[in-house]
Amino acid sequence: MNTDALIATLSIGVKPVPRRAVRRRLVLGIMAGGAITLLLVVLGLGVRPDLSLAMRGYSFWMKWIYTVSLGLCSIVLVSRLARPEATSLRGLWLLAVPFLALAVVGAVEMAHVTPGDWLAMWLGRTWKLCPWLVLMLSAPIFIGLLWSFRKLAPTRLRAAGAAAGFAAGAWAATLYCLHCPEVSAIFVLTWYTSGIALAAGAGALVGPRFLRW
Amino acid sequence: MRTSEEQLKTWMIGGLDGDAVAHGALLSALVPLLRNFYRRRVADGGDEIEDLVQDTLIAIHTRRMTFDRDRVFSAWLFAIARYKMIDHFRRARQRVPIDGVHEMMGDEGFEDSSNARMDVERLLDSLPPKQAGAIRATRIEGLSVAETAQNAGLGESDVKVSIHRGLKALSERIKGNTL
Repeated sequence: MNTDALIATLSIGVKPVPRRAVRRRLVLGIMAGGAITLLLVVLGLGVRPDLSLAMRGYSFWMKWIYTVSLGLCSIVLVSRLARPEATSLRGLWLLAVPFLALAVVGAVEMAHVTPGDWLAMWLGRTWKLCPWLVLMLSAPIFIGLLWSFRKLAPTRLRAAGAAAGFAAGAWAATLYCLHCPEVSAIFVLTWYTSGIALAAGAGALVGPRFLRW
Repeated sequence: MRTSEEQLKTWMIGGLDGDAVAHGALLSALVPLLRNFYRRRVADGGDEIEDLVQDTLIAIHTRRMTFDRDRVFSAWLFAIARYKMIDHFRRARQRVPIDGVHEMMGDEGFEDSSNARMDVERLLDSLPPKQAGAIRATRIEGLSVAETAQNAGLGESDVKVSIHRGLKALSERIKGNTL
């Protein structure tokens, strides 16, 4: 096809693009993948039986605030890496805020129990499974984000892949909270964060392959 | 005459607002820019460059939502062009040094032309309005003396004298640097 004909074809039916289109598309991808993840949590793992009771307690919200704030930060991060120009990642330190806040909560919690209980608190009952479940649950959300990226223009594919994996991990962890019975902050700080980090690592690994355009 | 950053950005934003004519005008204006860009950097004539140009146009079209209306258009454009070039070399397993987008904008003349435009505007503002208007119309907008005279409601010789005096004053100002 010659270039003029190509331009003529591309100029047919030009749809308006809203200002916040990039973020909207990312949120849409996360929600589409998140629906599958939610289904996996509800049907596969099962919602914790005491959920309505837990939602009145503090530890459920401590977990949720942590994962949701990471999830929101990650959307900002991904939307930056979804644009072609080199952007500064100066805002990246914001990610440390939820992490440090949870570390403080963890330290306070530890101060309230005898040191003999620390190990049990840290490992909980599900530490071996938790990171891997978060990683697995992040897969549908990551696929949703790959759909989002079809109209986006990342130029640093490995970084964009890592950010997408991180976002998928954070939102998968948020949904995993519906199942997970663990209550201590240092558990969440270690094992949830590990799961999210695994997802980010997996994203970095496959990013250059799947995000090419 | 190359299309200015402002014009390209206006078309781009028009296209984002759903204006198909502006979108088409943008893509057409980008063709010579992109050909020039790739010709300087890809050592192959003909088909390969045209493929890259078309590939880039398609990418610009499908991924236009990633343009931030508050940012510089040419930076966005060359970032995409550069990515497409790297991808092209990756496929061809060729290795070339690739400069950053900032140097590219310099190479492609956007920085120079916009800096030069700013300097000219500053100089013209220092002239009496009649001389500045005559120079702007004939030397920048490219009108003829007759057209300028008609627009301003002046005689042709009056316009010519204004241009002459204005340019003379400008050259003295540049030589003496009395800005």
